[in-house]
Amino acid sequence: MKFKLPFKKKQQQQPYKEMNAVKEKVELIAPSENDFTQLIKDTTNNPADLVIKSIPPNLTLIYINNLVNDQTLNEHIITNLQNNFFETPEAIWPILSIPEVNISSQLEETIASLLNGSVLIYVNGYSQVVLAPIPKRESRSLSTPENESQVIGAQVGFNESLSTNISLIRRYIISPNLCNEELKVGKRTHTSLSLLYMNGIASDQMVNTLRQRIQDVDVDSLLDSAVLLEMIDDNTLSPFPQMLLTERPDRFCDGLLNGKLGIIVEGSSLAIVCPIAFVEFFESREDQNLRWQVATFARLLRFTAIFLSVFLTPIYVGALTFHYEVIPQALLVPLSESRALVPFPPVFEALLLELIIELLREAGARLPTKIGQTIGIVGGIVIGTAAVQAGITSNILLIFVALSALASFTTPSYTMGNVIRLIRFPIILIAGFWGFYGIMLAFCFILIHLLRQSSLGAPYLSPYYPPRLKDMRDSIIKFPLPFVAKRASLTRPADQEKFDPEPVKPEKS
Amino acid sequence: MKKFRIYFVLLFLVSILVGCTETNILDRVGLTTLVGYDVGTEERISTTAVVREINPEFQSNVEVITTENETSKGNRLKANRRLSKKITIGQMRVVLFGEEVAKGDLHFYIDSLLENPSVSNGLYLAVVEGDTSELLQHEYKNIDDIGQHIYRLMEQNIKNEHMISSTLHEIAHDYYMKGKDIAMPIIKREEEFVELTGVALFNGGKMVSALPVEDSFYLKIMRDSFKAGIFETILPKEDIPPALMKDTITEMPVAFDAIRSKRTLKLVDPATPEFDVQLKIKARLLEVHPNINTGDPKVIEGLESAVSKNLSKELTRIVAQSQSVQSDIFGFGDTYRSSVRNSELTKEKWHEMYKNMKINVKVKFEILRDGVFE
Repeated sequence: MKFKLPFKKKQQQQPYKEMNAVKEKVELIAPSENDFTQLIKDTTNNPADLVIKSIPPNLTLIYINNLVNDQTLNEHIITNLQNNFFETPEAIWPILSIPEVNISSQLEETIASLLNGSVLIYVNGYSQVVLAPIPKRESRSLSTPENESQVIGAQVGFNESLSTNISLIRRYIISPNLCNEELKVGKRTHTSLSLLYMNGIASDQMVNTLRQRIQDVDVDSLLDSAVLLEMIDDNTLSPFPQMLLTERPDRFCDGLLNGKLGIIVEGSSLAIVCPIAFVEFFESREDQNLRWQVATFARLLRFTAIFLSVFLTPIYVGALTFHYEVIPQALLVPLSESRALVPFPPVFEALLLELIIELLREAGARLPTKIGQTIGIVGGIVIGTAAVQAGITSNILLIFVALSALASFTTPSYTMGNVIRLIRFPIILIAGFWGFYGIMLAFCFILIHLLRQSSLGAPYLSPYYPPRLKDMRDSIIKFPLPFVAKRASLTRPADQEKFDPEPVKPEKS
Repeated sequence: MKKFRIYFVLLFLVSILVGCTETNILDRVGLTTLVGYDVGTEERISTTAVVREINPEFQSNVEVITTENETSKGNRLKANRRLSKKITIGQMRVVLFGEEVAKGDLHFYIDSLLENPSVSNGLYLAVVEGDTSELLQHEYKNIDDIGQHIYRLMEQNIKNEHMISSTLHEIAHDYYMKGKDIAMPIIKREEEFVELTGVALFNGGKMVSALPVEDSFYLKIMRDSFKAGIFETILPKEDIPPALMKDTITEMPVAFDAIRSKRTLKLVDPATPEFDVQLKIKARLLEVHPNINTGDPKVIEGLESAVSKNLSKELTRIVAQSQSVQSDIFGFGDTYRSSVRNSELTKEKWHEMYKNMKINVKVKFEILRDGVFE
């Protein structure tokens, strides 16, 4: 059964009236100075930072003060224009010493250009206008990726500027086959975004699908790529993300080079990578930088951590509520003695403690970094010890809960880590109701749910279901390099070969 | 969407209504760790249960309760009336039978233990010399929790292969097998200790005889191949080769650590029936009195043959004893059943044949190492 986003439908039925109205009113530019400036004022609602500046005898400059680069405006436009006389707009073109100049006769294009940081140069009496884009690019400087840090590897993350991000990627992949398609989303915000892929590796079908999906998005505004992801992924109702959000350019490029597609949204420091399999959320870029034994160990550790994180507390609850038979004899006395003072049933005890841990995490995430750390230490130690001493939880559960919280943070993708933490709660509840049967039921439910998911049409549980033995060489267990010379078939790559598996030093092997 | 709403309501109702399972919260139940069965007055069942209760004062105490009733479940009800917590049997580790019960019939007990899903198949069964209640009710000076103590005692000896294993699973397996009888350890109170004193032999569900604990090693190597275990034997004068007899000694105690033993059974004559038993044992020499030169290969060879001779004599003796009481604890009958076509063996039929069975024991004893140990 497919779900459709409810807002998509509504918008199709009731298109925005204002947008249509603007289109219908004026298409062409008026050939008179007063008419033209008035028109600009009307359409842009006469903002306070709109500057209309006349340069005698017949020129008018129109720009938005906060959008254009002052220095360029002074040095390369105004200086050049003041000392000369121009008959036609075409004559201005060669004089301006800026890289890109356009001439337009359409109002809509003119307004869009104005709002993107262009200076409009109007020659009196012509129904054409010269557009000189000199936008002021303000962005935060590049910094380390805070949410996806790694020890060995590049220490640079995306920032909020689309052009900076693309330049970062272009520096990683110097190739004419790196395709960059610009698309716009948002009826009111006109947010620009770039669809990137490697021509000759990425599957054309997937590129078309993704482009179609982005074009079909019909929303008012788009402020972050995470929102776009939710609108274009395969199953919006699933808690599991079906596309990867990353702030690492190297991970993004790694994806592109493996035939994946990437989306970068202006104003967002998180890039989207798709299609992606479930297991890839638990792989870090750093694994590629490590030797295969170490990388395999790290991945196995992370996968154990998922199971610990999701099932440890429910198993505690299930075992103590229903299945006291399975508790090993050596644990029997310590377990029951630590619970002897607790007045609640195990479900309630576990939920309470999990809730406290989640509160601590949330508080730590919302507070400024300096205070956040203090909260973590103070909360962890003080609340933990106090809770045990007050007799509202047992100290063995405290260890279990802390362990599963810790385990959930090993997931390299923060969005997936959140899901892992979230699905624990219903399982604890169901373990409290039905014991191990409930845990098994929940496990089957999650497994079936995951089996049904897809990422851009590619199977989500690949390479395990459908089984693709060759792709398993670089999933939970990472094989040595000569075995992983081919790209995974998840992305249906046009070119499978990544490198020649023959060793560089044949005499040694 | 509407269809889904119905599913959600159904799921909600199911989880609310079916969530009324009986809970057994660990700290709110009394955990029975050991149960002993005796014959009570007027042929009733007398049950002694060792129950561990957890108190909020951070001290757990162990209660030993003896009750008498017509059935074992009735006894549980009765015991419940004396305890502050519900009795559960999921953590039961050992079941003991009084001698009188064992000499009656264990069929009922094995059956009812098997039928109960919360009873582990890994629990140990044993026979008590005398009454179980007397063994359990005694206040031992050094034993805190008698239930756990007996469990550890049996586990330790069985894991180290000093005693035959008698888990419920194995006992039930042998009990329902046509060509094999069950055997269980015997335990006894010796003043302030609980001790393994022997092995009980059964004919069907009835205990018919007992072997002393010293014989359990022979029993083990005869029953199955095994991998560890120290044994000690005294070589009598006639077994010792003259080359080793330096002084005038009457006997020679030796201790071995068997590394590996392998038993092969072969039916040579189905009519009698007659079996060839071949045992290959590899061992380390641990101790030998008096001092002999173990560096001499001839001495070692002599010792090997002496031990082989001694072992086959002892093994024949035990088998003869089991034959006299018609208790085939070694499983010869199973080899017979698998070697003879259409034998249509039943337990009774086999017991009749077992009486007249002949065996030829051949032991090949090999000393692998001596000198530095452990």
